[in-house]
This record gives sequence, C-alpha cells and structure tokens, in this order.
Amino acid sequence: MNFNLVLKVVARIILVEAGALSFPMLVAYSYGESTLPFLLTIGLLLLFCIPLSFLPSKKEFFLREGFVTVGLLWLITGIVGGLPFYFSGYFSSFIDCVFESCSGFTTTGATILTDIEALPYGILFWRSFTHWLGGMGVLVLATAILPSFGIRSHYMTQAESPGPVFSKLVPKQSQTSKILYGIYCALTVIEAFILKILGMPLYDAVIHAFSTAGTGGFSNRNASVGAYGDPVIEMVIAVFAILFSVNFGLYFLLIRRRFREVLASDELRFFVGIVAGATLLITINTLPIYQTVLESFRYAFFQVASIISTTGFATADYVLWPQFSQCILILLMFCGACAGSTGGGIKCSRILMLLRSIRRELHCITHPRSVEVVRLDGKVVEEKTMHSVLVFFCCYLLVILGATLIISLDGYSFSTSFSSALTCVSNVGPGLELVGPTGNFSTFSPLSKAVMALCMIIGRLEIFPILVLFSHLTWRRT
Amino acid sequence: MKIVIVGNGKVGFSLAEHLVKESHDLTIVDMQEEPLRKASDILDIMSVKGNGVSSSTLKEAGAEYADLLVAATSSDEVNMVCCSTAKHLGAKCTIARIRNPEYTMGISELKKTMGIDMVINPENASATEIARWLRFPSAANIETFCRGRVELMGFRLQAKDFMVGKPLYALSDQVKKLSLLFCAIERDSEVFIPDGAFVPKENDKLYVIGRPSSLDQFFRLLGRYCPKVKDVFIVGGGKISLYLTTILEKMKMRTKIVELSPERCRQISEQLNHTMVICGDGTDQELLNEERLASSDAFVALTDRDEDNLILSLYAMQLGIPKVITKSNRQNYAGIARAVGLDSIISPKSITVSQILQLVRGMENSEGSVMTTLYRIADGLAEAMEFSVGSHTKHLGVALKDLTLKKGILLAVIMRNGEIIIPEGNSSIQEGDSVIVIARDHHLLNLNDIYADDDEDFPITGGLT
Repeated sequence: MNFNLVLKVVARIILVEAGALSFPMLVAYSYGESTLPFLLTIGLLLLFCIPLSFLPSKKEFFLREGFVTVGLLWLITGIVGGLPFYFSGYFSSFIDCVFESCSGFTTTGATILTDIEALPYGILFWRSFTHWLGGMGVLVLATAILPSFGIRSHYMTQAESPGPVFSKLVPKQSQTSKILYGIYCALTVIEAFILKILGMPLYDAVIHAFSTAGTGGFSNRNASVGAYGDPVIEMVIAVFAILFSVNFGLYFLLIRRRFREVLASDELRFFVGIVAGATLLITINTLPIYQTVLESFRYAFFQVASIISTTGFATADYVLWPQFSQCILILLMFCGACAGSTGGGIKCSRILMLLRSIRRELHCITHPRSVEVVRLDGKVVEEKTMHSVLVFFCCYLLVILGATLIISLDGYSFSTSFSSALTCVSNVGPGLELVGPTGNFSTFSPLSKAVMALCMIIGRLEIFPILVLFSHLTWRRT
Repeated sequence: MKIVIVGNGKVGFSLAEHLVKESHDLTIVDMQEEPLRKASDILDIMSVKGNGVSSSTLKEAGAEYADLLVAATSSDEVNMVCCSTAKHLGAKCTIARIRNPEYTMGISELKKTMGIDMVINPENASATEIARWLRFPSAANIETFCRGRVELMGFRLQAKDFMVGKPLYALSDQVKKLSLLFCAIERDSEVFIPDGAFVPKENDKLYVIGRPSSLDQFFRLLGRYCPKVKDVFIVGGGKISLYLTTILEKMKMRTKIVELSPERCRQISEQLNHTMVICGDGTDQELLNEERLASSDAFVALTDRDEDNLILSLYAMQLGIPKVITKSNRQNYAGIARAVGLDSIISPKSITVSQILQLVRGMENSEGSVMTTLYRIADGLAEAMEFSVGSHTKHLGVALKDLTLKKGILLAVIMRNGEIIIPEGNSSIQEGDSVIVIARDHHLLNLNDIYADDDEDFPITGGLT
C-alpha cells in the first residue's frame, strides 16, 4: 500500500474543494453575510493539505490505491464539507453538520434542518453546491482540471463513476472528464435559465438547478418545490431530473449525431418504461385523492421523476397516498437512475442485467444443455461483469439491512427505520412516515446519523471503495 | 492525433505505451477481453473488443476519423484486410505488419491494391540492422544519417582506453582534428549530453557521430579497430536468420546456422546456396564446440527464447568472439544483458515501434522542418533525429553562439551541400540544410522546438570544440 501517494492525491483534490468553497464565500459576501465560516474552512484546508500535497512518495499506484484514494477522499470530503456549517453556528452538533454535508456531496438530500429558510444565503448555497460537485464526482472534476497526477487516474475515476462497467467517451481520461463536465454545466445553466424565466428568483433558480443537476434534492424552501405552487416549474424540474438521470454517454452520442445508437439503448428504454409505468399506476391509484386526472398526473409524475432520479424533491406528502403508490415509490428507490448519470440507486442497467440473467436461468432449467449469453445494447455482457452485478446486488441489500438494524435501536417503526436506511444508501432523500417529504432526520440519535452518513457514501461510491477501506488485506504492506 | 491500433500484442501494447506518452488519442482493438482490460488499466486509452477486420468494430473504434491505423495482429492476412477496410472507411494512413517472406516479394502491388501506406516487417528490419552491425564490428550499435554520409556509433569504454578519466577537452589534437562529436553518454541507465568538461569513466557507453572515415580513424586510434567479419555463427533458424543470411551472402560473409528442427533446416537450405545449415540443438555446448564456434568472427543468437539467447551470447563472449549480437524482445532483459557486457542487443519489437514512431512524428509535423530520420538510442532514453531545414525554421543564418537551446538538446551535425559540418559557435543553420539533433527527455516534432524560449543557458556544442 503506497499510503504516501494516496494521501498526496487526496490532499490535492481536497485543495480543489477548497477552491470550490470560494463560490459560496462570494455569495455570502454579496449578500452582506459573514464570510468567516468559509474563510476558516479554507484556511484549515490549506494549512493541512498544502504540506501533504508535497509528500515524498513512490510512484506505484494500482487498483488498490485507486479504491482507497476514492474511499478516503469521500470520507474526508464528507467531514470537511461540514466545517462551514459548523462554523456558521446554525447547527446544533458536529454530527449534524457531517450528516448534512454527506447528504449534500452524495446527492442524497436528506436533511436534519427543521427550518431551512432561517439559514443565511451563503450556507444554503454551499449546501446545494455540494450536490452539484458530488453529482458528477469530485474526482472527475479533479481529473478534468488538474493537468495530470502522473498516476493512473483511470483507477480512481473507475471507482467513482456509477454503473456496472466504466467506459470512456474518448481515449483520454482528462478529455472524457472535460466532456462530461461540459454537458453537466450546459444542462445546469439551461435549467437555471428556464426556472428564472418562469418567475423564480435568480438565487432560488440556481439552487434548484444545482440540486436537480446532482439529483440531490436540497431546496432553500421548507416546503421544497411545492412552495412555488406552479405546475410549470414542477414539470420543468421533473423533466430535468429525468434528463440528469440518463447516462451522460448518450448525450455525447447525441452531440456526435449517432441518434440510432441512443434510441437503441436498452437501459434508456427500460428507464423510460419504468417512469411511464409508475406514473400511470400512481395517477390511477391517487385519483380518489385529487380532483382531476391532470392534477393527479401532476403530482404522480413529479414524485416518480423525483424518486427514480434519486433527487427527492417534494410537491406532495406522499405518505398520505394509498399504500400501493408508496410501495411503487419504495421500489423506484431501489432501482434508481441509469448508469453513468448523477443519480443513485442500484442503477437500471444492473436491474436489467439481473432480470435477463433470471430469464437465462429459467431457460437453463427447461433446456439444461442450452448455452446462452446475456446481452445489453446488443453486446454480450462478460460473465465477470454479470458476476459482479450479482455480488453488488447482494451487498446492496446487506448494507441496507445492516443499517436498518442499527437505526432500529432508536425505537422508531420498521417503515421509518427501513426506509431511512434505503433512502440513504440509494441517495434519494425522503423516506416513509417520520422521514417522509415533510419530515426530517433531526430526531435520530448521533449513532444513527453517523451510520446514515456512512451509508450515503457507501451508496454513492457503489459500496466497494468503502468496504475496501475496512479490509485488513488493503492495509498490509505486501 | 487520433490513432487506432488493431492487435494488442507485444508490439501493439508497446507502441501504445509510447504513443500515449506523446499524448495522442489512442484506441486499441483486440479480440480478447483480458489483455484489453490490462491495457486500459495501465494506459490512458480507449479499448474496443472485436475483430479488426469487421467494419462495425473499426467504426466503433473511430477508424473513420483516424489519422493513423496500425494493424499489428499476429496474422498478416488480418492486418492487410484491416488496413484495406479502414482505408475505405476513411482512415488517413494505414500501417500493416506483414512478416511472411512470400508477401514481401510483391509488396508494392499489395500495398497499392490493399490501401496500405506502410508495411512493417520487424524480422526483415532486424536482419538489416544486424547486417549493418556486422559490417562495422567495432561499434556496439550504429545508425546512419544523410544516406550513409553520417554515422552515429555507440561503444563501451574499457579501462585501458585512453579516453577514460580525462575530460573531453584534454583529448589529443589527433582526435580533435577528426570531424566527429561525442554526442551522448549512457551511464547506469542514465543519459548525459556531454560538454567539454565531461569526464568519461570506464563502462560508460559513448555515442559518437561523424563521417564514417573519421569514425574509422577514431576507432583505430582507440585501438579498437576490428578486422572485417568473415565467419558468422547463427543459432536459431527463424525468419530473421533467413533474411539475415540472404543479406550476408550478398556481403560475401560465410554463415553457419544451427537449427533444431530438421524440416526447418531443409527449408533454409533449399532457399540458401552458400550457407551451411546444421541440424542440432544450438544450446548444446558439445555441438557448438564441434562446429568451432570459438574461431568464428561473430556470433548471433536468434532463437525464440530470450533466455537462451542471453546464455548463449554469454558463452560466446566467454570464448572471446569479438562480436556477439543477441536478440531479446523483453525490455528488462536488455538492461540485464547490458550490465553483464552484452552490448549489441536487437529487439524486433522496438525496431517496429521506432519505425512507427518516426512516421507518426513525421505526420504530425507536415509543415516546416520535416523530420526525415529518427533513432532511439540507449533504450529510448535519448533520440537522434535528422531534420531538413525549411523556410519556416526560426533563426536561419544566426550564429549558434547567439542562440540558446533547450537543456538536453544537442545540435550535432549540419549537412550542407553534401558537406558535413560539426557545428561551432560561428556556424549557423541555413535553408536547405539537414541537421542532426540529439535530444534527451524531449519529444521533438519540429526543429523550432530546440530553441529555448527563456534565458536558460546551455552550451550549444559539446564534446570537441
């Protein structure tokens, strides 16, 4: 284990984050608020990271180092991101700050705040900005703007990018990262622009654009998007949430005018199918609550888009909906967005592969000698990939169940404990009952909050980079 | 440049390794998942799984927009079809590795009909290289520039040489009179560009550049002049041996090939008239002694196994054979071999890579000063290249003493109207010249890249001025 190099790389990327902190500082300054929380944090980061980033180190950097770097980076990022909250004095304890920051960077959007609107502009901006940074990935950003680490950055971006297989858009990693961030920035700006035109204040538009782009879900209003009461704004945000949960590689294909390949994408079709199906079912199921079909559709579509993209904005308190609709939403939390997007969850492509391997298993029972491969987008999926998808699925369930067990120590109902674990691992935000769209996570014990914060990072990094940190083999010298 | 490499074998991977360092956009196509995974883990490239002859795979790899496609799979036919398909899709330039001697005969027709721009035959290139070394046995290796009018030789210093322990400026006038230049020194797998104050040590490998006659004289002064090679002993009867003996026969050298397989022996003897083919195990010392290995002038180890070649060469060196040449495809073995005193190592892989790199650099630099020759010396730690000076070149006609060059760059030779000038402070570069530049740690593309932009001071000419 080349720990020196790992520390060095982590320190350099944290420095990039220190740079990112200057944005909320500017916002705080322009609103005439105290910039002290940000200045203090930046100062602390510089103090620790500059010496570390010049650490003498050997050059060896392999997959192991890559995973540890990513795991460590995200754990530290979660803590570091909470420092401005802590210094601002609006949060009651440090664990609350870490929870909020983890929830931000992992684009979960779960909050322990009861009165969001009381917070200053700068802090709220940072809260949503962490969504934006964490959505596409801190490392992807680092590989895009830092010239080169002189190491195999492929190993790290591989660990950070969601999805069963990692593929580049163009041969060079730095170029790939630049293209991804280019698309990401463009879409974010477009959304903010549209929201502004639709009558949102500029600040709110930017905040909501950040939160949608990262598929996070932090709002600067207590009632979330519902506070605006404007169906058009809701539709725009829902559509953008879906746009951000599509594989960004497809946008690249669109730019390259390879439309046929985009339409042929199995994952995209599956994703759109689920969104349409879930919306239809919930619309029908919630008809008795709302007056018209249109209104029912408005709330159903927004909630489906918000949950499957793992954003977690709310316009309606779906805890009051029929059990069937709530059940659908829970299933959507498991499924999550597409691979290669900013969303969380198990990812549609994995679900699709699992379903297809189930079909293969059935075929194998009826025709024991049949040889069959699983295909995705017309291409054969390697057995090794299939295997890792299965293992991933099991780990995902185990992590959720384990977290549920610990959270249940607080004595809340199973629905609350389970849905809060699920919503954290899938990076959605709201759960059921106590942690529903109108509730929040402030009442949990510090232990539960710590476990949830960890779960969010585990979910964001797709489990293994964090599990690797806890393996004794990783830390052995040989 | 956008480059597609088909075939992730030894050559393909090594080529990719070098091209990535020069920051090209690389895509590798291969049939197998495992080597591709390894390549994309280690290198910053994109990998595409599939058969290189299918146009859909090539399209996926972006061959339509590629500036260069290199087909280096193990099959000649696949390489040809791949180049042909890529050319039709729109690839600008295609290179195929074609090794079968049967194809080599009518290669120009093949190139035309298949749309192949360049054919690389590593075995043939290696054989040519070995033949050149055998012609000038005093040097460990030798490169030629300006159509043979300038040569670059490397040789290892021994304890008794008069150069050892003295700075270069203190050499006798006899040496200084010769028109040659010490352009690079390899010591402990590091390369230095020497200036006048440099003190050569025992076991350094010195690279000296100049007119062939001057070099001959220098080696005479050094007491290193070897008589011409007459008898060559080759172990291994592969493709390289066959190409090599064909060339050696023309050079009127007597050759003896030891080959294990009787069938192969017969094939070789059918194709060669004046070569003695011996069927037997070349690693058997009894057989080597019986065939009087000790009394031949040169020994070439060309078996399939690098390890055998190394051991055989060590044995030959022990017997006191003046010139020993070893084939080794593995880079790390070459280093070990050098450490034990085997200097003439031939690697078909790195020859192929050098050739392609040269073409790539040439393509990148289509305007201005065109690079005509590129050699990688000292395991690729330094490069020697020849540029023809065009009107775009900067500082034409300015005396070199008024210019500063980047660190690690040496302007070794200026060639004007067939005359060789070893540059001094008052010399200048003029349009129409050819210049030879030695560069360490730089990937030069253009002659204009040699000038330092800042005021970094560095002597322009080293060695004997």
